[in-house]
Amino acid sequence: MAPAHFSSFELLLLKSRYQPDTAALLLLAWVFVNKRVVLDEDRHYLEALAHGYRHTQDLDTLLAIAAGRNLTDIQLAAEVLLHEWVDEQFLPFLCRAIGLATSDGVLSLRNHHILRFLADLSGVGPAAFARLFREITGQPLATPDDPSRHLYWQENATADAPHAAQSDTDTSTVEKKTLWQRWHAKRQSARTRRQQAREKLHQRQARERQEEARRQTREQQDKERRKAYERQEQQRQKQERQQDTPGSAPPPHYRIRLALRILELDEYASRHEIKQAYRRLAQRHHPDRFYGQSDLRIALASQRFQRIKDAYDYLMQNA
Amino acid sequence: MRDLYHRLDIPRHATPDTIARAAARCANQTLQADAKSVLGIDAHREVYDELHGLLSDLGQLRAGLGMTHAPHWCGDVANDFSPPPERIVSRQAQLTAKLEIALARHQSRQRRRGWFALVTLAALSTAYAAGRFWS
Repeated sequence: MAPAHFSSFELLLLKSRYQPDTAALLLLAWVFVNKRVVLDEDRHYLEALAHGYRHTQDLDTLLAIAAGRNLTDIQLAAEVLLHEWVDEQFLPFLCRAIGLATSDGVLSLRNHHILRFLADLSGVGPAAFARLFREITGQPLATPDDPSRHLYWQENATADAPHAAQSDTDTSTVEKKTLWQRWHAKRQSARTRRQQAREKLHQRQARERQEEARRQTREQQDKERRKAYERQEQQRQKQERQQDTPGSAPPPHYRIRLALRILELDEYASRHEIKQAYRRLAQRHHPDRFYGQSDLRIALASQRFQRIKDAYDYLMQNA
Repeated sequence: MRDLYHRLDIPRHATPDTIARAAARCANQTLQADAKSVLGIDAHREVYDELHGLLSDLGQLRAGLGMTHAPHWCGDVANDFSPPPERIVSRQAQLTAKLEIALARHQSRQRRRGWFALVTLAALSTAYAAGRFWS
């Protein structure tokens, strides 16, 4: 009676040798069923993968799950991956997904969005994802078309017309054959390109690591130098002040000092500087700048503004 | 990609008549033109609906996984297809809970079977002893 409560994917997951493999296979099957043209090669590829994961008999079940709009199973697969894998383990999976989605030359509109979802799942940002896509397919990653626009349909109408005429003249077998050959050649070139890309990636990673180390050492040196300089500066200022204070005017009243500190000035600020500081701070802290935000923020801003204004008024009267 | 149904404030399976009326009522000229050329033509609407379904699914998925603010989910798509926030339910936790229930049931059944076997054995042995005694 217990097995009745588990969905077919959950059963597969429980039986699997390594759960993330099963989950990745489901997501790849999801990419596969959303392709525009389904090639036999892709199916063979998936079968080989499934065989490697010891799911030879279960591929049809997985494809059926992926084809049905079964959100819970796909969410479960994504959660399993997020739970089990760290960032680097996602990369080969993402590469596989991109290769599978683009093996027929065009990325379908649905797969555009699905691949972006998978990239988010893998924690790969837009720039890195575009680079990866370029390395694997040799084409830049385009932004997906928008069928909710009037323009999309106009462009498609003009683009589709000659294509349709052509496909009428060709027989379906010839088209299939040429498509097959073209695909084969593309796959060969893609494989070499992928290898090159992998080597390049390794090289770049090594270089980045070196640069990172170099930058860190440089930053540390900079920091130490800056600290030493600041210490010297502080000592110098202290000495100057000690020399100055006995000869010069007595230090200003503490309220004036407080007001000056509110205006973020030192003790020797001129009238002009005070005015400038007041204008700058008033602009920054004016409550009208926080219009539409929470009441708490507005209240805090008006408090700050009031304090600044009081300080300025006091200074203008007494300094 | 925008959610035209949402922007026109009509249900997903609205009739062409409703769509035409909503489009006529719409003040935004661009949206009006888009609604007429996308939802007004059946072939276009079919393609649009297919992608619309996928994107709402992806929105749900992202909400469930807590990825509604991920870098690839941006622009019109994110604006129109993110569902309102709700409590996130982890499917993996659900699966674990289900497994635990099944396991507990199985164990209790085993235990019950063990007790039953013990009681039967005791009854049989007493019957045997009684038979020997009385005969």
